[in-house]
Amino acid sequence: MNKKTTYIAPTSLDEALKILNNNMGETKVIAGGTDLIPRMRSGMATPKRLLDIRKLSLSSIKLQGDFICIGAGATHTAIMESELLSVYCPILRKVAYKIAGPPIRNRGTVGGNLVNASPAADLAPPLLINDAEVVLSSFRAERVVPLVDFFTGPGETVITHKEILTEIRIPVSTETAATCFIKLGKRNAMTISVVHSAVRFSLDSKGKIASSRIALGSVAPTPVRAVKAEEALEGELPGMELFQNVSALASEEVSPISDNRASAGYRLEMVYVLTKRSLLTAFSDYKKVI
Amino acid sequence: MEEIRVNFIVNGKSINLSADPTRTLLSVLRDELELKGAKEACGQGDCGACVVVMNDKAVNSCLVLVGQIDGAEIITVEGLAKQGSFHKLQDHFIEKWAFQCGYCTPGMLMSAYALLLNNPNPTEEEIRASIAGNLCRCTGYNMIVEAIEAFANETAQN
Amino acid sequence: MMKEFNVIGKKLAAVGGQDVVTGKAKYSPDLELPKMLVGKLLYSPHACARIIELDVSKARELDGVAAVLTAEDIPGENSYLYWYPDQPLLVSDQIRYNGDAVAIVAAENEEIATAALDAIRVVYEPLEGVFDPEQALNQGTRRVWDEKENLHSHYISEWGDVELGFAQADVIIENTYSTHYQEHAMLETESAVAYIDHDGTIVVYASTQAPHRDQIQIARALNIPEVMVREITPRIGGAFGAKDEANVQIHAALLTYATQRPVKIIRSREESIRTHVKRHPAKIKYRTGATIEGKLTAVHMVAYGDTGPYVNAGEEVMMTMSAYGAGPYYVPHARSEAYTVLTNNPICGAFRGFGVPQVTFAFERQMDELANRLRMDPLDIRLLNCIKTGQQFQPKAVVRMGDGLRACLEKASQLSGWKERIKISREPEPNLKRGWGVATSFHKVGFDKNVSDHSSAAVNMAQDGSVVVRTGASDMGQGAHTVFAQIVAEHLGLKPEHVKVIRPDTTMAGDAGASVASRVTVFSGNALIKAAETIRQTLLDIVVEETGADPELIILRNGYAYIEGEQINLRIADLAAKAYERNLPMQASGFYSMDFPEAEMPDGSSGYQHIVCYGAHVAQVLVDIETGQVTVEKIIAVHDVGQVINPKGLRGQIEGGVSMGLGYALMEELHVDQGIIQNTSLESYLIPTALDIPQIIVDVVELPEDETPYGAKSVGEPPTNITPSAIANAVADAIGKPINYLPISPESVLVAIKAASE
Repeated sequence: MNKKTTYIAPTSLDEALKILNNNMGETKVIAGGTDLIPRMRSGMATPKRLLDIRKLSLSSIKLQGDFICIGAGATHTAIMESELLSVYCPILRKVAYKIAGPPIRNRGTVGGNLVNASPAADLAPPLLINDAEVVLSSFRAERVVPLVDFFTGPGETVITHKEILTEIRIPVSTETAATCFIKLGKRNAMTISVVHSAVRFSLDSKGKIASSRIALGSVAPTPVRAVKAEEALEGELPGMELFQNVSALASEEVSPISDNRASAGYRLEMVYVLTKRSLLTAFSDYKKVI
Repeated sequence: MEEIRVNFIVNGKSINLSADPTRTLLSVLRDELELKGAKEACGQGDCGACVVVMNDKAVNSCLVLVGQIDGAEIITVEGLAKQGSFHKLQDHFIEKWAFQCGYCTPGMLMSAYALLLNNPNPTEEEIRASIAGNLCRCTGYNMIVEAIEAFANETAQN
Repeated sequence: MMKEFNVIGKKLAAVGGQDVVTGKAKYSPDLELPKMLVGKLLYSPHACARIIELDVSKARELDGVAAVLTAEDIPGENSYLYWYPDQPLLVSDQIRYNGDAVAIVAAENEEIATAALDAIRVVYEPLEGVFDPEQALNQGTRRVWDEKENLHSHYISEWGDVELGFAQADVIIENTYSTHYQEHAMLETESAVAYIDHDGTIVVYASTQAPHRDQIQIARALNIPEVMVREITPRIGGAFGAKDEANVQIHAALLTYATQRPVKIIRSREESIRTHVKRHPAKIKYRTGATIEGKLTAVHMVAYGDTGPYVNAGEEVMMTMSAYGAGPYYVPHARSEAYTVLTNNPICGAFRGFGVPQVTFAFERQMDELANRLRMDPLDIRLLNCIKTGQQFQPKAVVRMGDGLRACLEKASQLSGWKERIKISREPEPNLKRGWGVATSFHKVGFDKNVSDHSSAAVNMAQDGSVVVRTGASDMGQGAHTVFAQIVAEHLGLKPEHVKVIRPDTTMAGDAGASVASRVTVFSGNALIKAAETIRQTLLDIVVEETGADPELIILRNGYAYIEGEQINLRIADLAAKAYERNLPMQASGFYSMDFPEAEMPDGSSGYQHIVCYGAHVAQVLVDIETGQVTVEKIIAVHDVGQVINPKGLRGQIEGGVSMGLGYALMEELHVDQGIIQNTSLESYLIPTALDIPQIIVDVVELPEDETPYGAKSVGEPPTNITPSAIANAVADAIGKPINYLPISPESVLVAIKAASE
């Protein structure tokens, strides 16, 4: 690493944001460092200064009014072990468990996962299907951005150099929802996803689908919602044929690339397979609970 | 480069040192404290050979910066024998031939230690998951899992 | 009838184990010496280029830089003197692969060393490289070396008359197979520490499989007598063939020589993956002929291996492929050809199996295709064709003991429930298909007759009866030193804790040959037995003098002498003390090279017997036919080992080899683009994790072999040779379609499923 990189670990959010107020990009925020440190090692990231947010008490997970509020500094392990999330958003815990391995999960944070904005960000799809919002704090200002509007490209988001992502908010849902997450990787741990999918829906009093959400990762420049596929689910009775048709629609809403992990064609096919399987599994799990 | 002063505990011993805050914990352990057990086999968190236990959690010491260790309690493989009955975990590794070249072993032991601190009676799946971030090229893992299981069983009986 | 031993076959803790689990074990990156410098190599960014300008002056001027060396600064030979002396230590004219080094630096610390590398000015003129091994053989293609063709060698191994054999066949199967690169991914990358001893000796601690060979190369590079170089191997963090050739140790020696200070060089993971040798990717055309009953009549194999620009072990690997072309079967007419092709792709060389995994994949897929065509059970067709003792398997060689293959197959069948597999569901879920595959292969013990292949070893007994084993054989984790301790302890009747094995050291021990080719147990083991025998005779003579007993009735065991099974009041320690009193020598050396007893070949010509060992694996897999993902449910691995010396060490070797084979079959893939490896990290080159390895059931067949230590053969490479084929056959069985390429990626499975049936 570049020996000239300086380091600062402020103890209050105000202090941190004040420092960033003059940031033109030479200061990078660091939390767990599981992505930033390797990139600094390879020369892909060359910040002049690191601003460590670990002392800013941004790691709580709590219920506040109608929202679950997850501090951006909460590690993947904290998410896995959160009793609150096991009640209100169990899918998030299951997804966190599929990230890397224990040593990475003990340091990597949900905020980091989102800000790094890899198209393969594991936590993005489960947060997207839960209509998550992110809180971007800057000196004397704060804005709330729906996660669906947060990502703008591979590794790019709407966050500015002066902002810190401080919190992720998930609206608490009163209805029972069917959810499922599937990650396709090249091995069973420590793997970046080839394709992953997350779905969520509930059933109204007539047994028809309502509030459907489908989110997909590693198949577009950013994690995406398959909006047309979601619309096609609304108001319909769940069933194999519907799920197959909807999955076909989902594969029209993505634009995967070919890389060392998989070809675009394979990814496209897997969008269909994973969406279909997610919907089927979500529905069958739902039926067991109801 | 401005150095910072950090206070932390390694294997029960208080350490006070001044270092570049962007230096890794791994390099401090190996080069300042002469604790060579943790190894650099990839330098970026892909292999687990540098795993130590910090505040009761397994971490890749190549991804922890000096600026982040103030106040931390760190256990490395050199300090494992003094943690309760964990010297028996080391004995089980020998008894069960849970290493061949041994390069991954310090990291493996520390991941196992972190697991067993919180979960003294793990299932096989849980054991495998706990060392999923520790790559081994020699053993194929099954004998490592058996060593950890044997220790857990022995401890459970006592 | 199994002989009962005291130490052989017993569980024994690994030598040095206590140090490993307490973090005290010292590998070369752990060594610290006063005033030690950090050494680094500057590698070419190109795969094929001419060096127009190389200017190190600015780097030399930097504060804290102790030396910057280029090719012209090498006092002696600028060459790795491995199998073939074509690879320079430092390149000055033409870059031929992406891992060529142009300069080396030594500096006070890592930061300054990196700055020095940055300060070296190199102007390259990129050249058109040769990256397609098939095109490389075309006339119009550019030559990797101006002075020679891109075809380095063409080996043919044949006997009988293949045309006749095919004419006799009722069925002929012909296919083309391809296999890919594999990266060793040993946990410890290449490393070395060099310093100058008080008497001017260049001492190098290196992570190496061949300390004596390194010694020669360092001496030649420095232009000094070999005895002025001492190489020692500390503990090694894995090798699998990557450390058979010299990698950074000669450079470390050059820098220490130039600076007169200790120098440590450690390759980063990225440098390691980028520069060291890989397993040869191969294209193998295979034609098999058999009778309607399934008996093989003829085999014709043609294999092409892309070895990169430097021959390295390429010729040997391809020669091995041709030597193994007929498989572990009796084939009356065979012709196996192997071409070594030069390109500007990554260099290929020694890797556990040394060509055998690739060729096994081809002939084992052929056997399954044959079984398919003839509607025979795949295991039965192999049993039918098993080679037997005394049958020909090379142009001039027959198998010395051949019953191991049948025994392994039968045991594998039994342990895997092969005959009952029809009772198990082939479709546990709508999208999952289950399949079973069997595969077998063989491995020669030792290289061959008329090849330089020998081991020296020595044993010193101290006055208290404890023993030092002086070996030059590297233990890279496979447990060789533990095996040595057991062999010597057994032979001298000592408790294992009274036997110490030194770190291999070229000053302290003779050349044991490299730790390769599954040869260490047999070659070093036999050398040690000879050495130990000399001492044992001395001790027996003393017992006879003291007691008047008949020497035939005396044995040494557990630290005591026994006469007619009764322990007498003479400890080995007492005998040793008496030996010293009586001026009897208590140091002995042993030397072993393989005896290849004569044999008559089927054509009447004179040949020889070769020791071979066998193995059989069964894999049970589940294939998700929508995603193409393969899950291995279990692997049964049975190996013909002669005699188990250390059961746990053996199991470890087999399971490790199986895991490496599983990775090679399913998930390991190097992406090479225009000669440059794209995935040089352990994040992007995937080896199995603990969650990827299934249950592995290990068993052995013990048919003791003559001329080997206690009947023991070898097991280092056979498992890796066989597992990939067992998995491939299982996947093909699951989906009912051929699998002709490795790796078996999910995409390739889907392609195979969709392929039209023949």
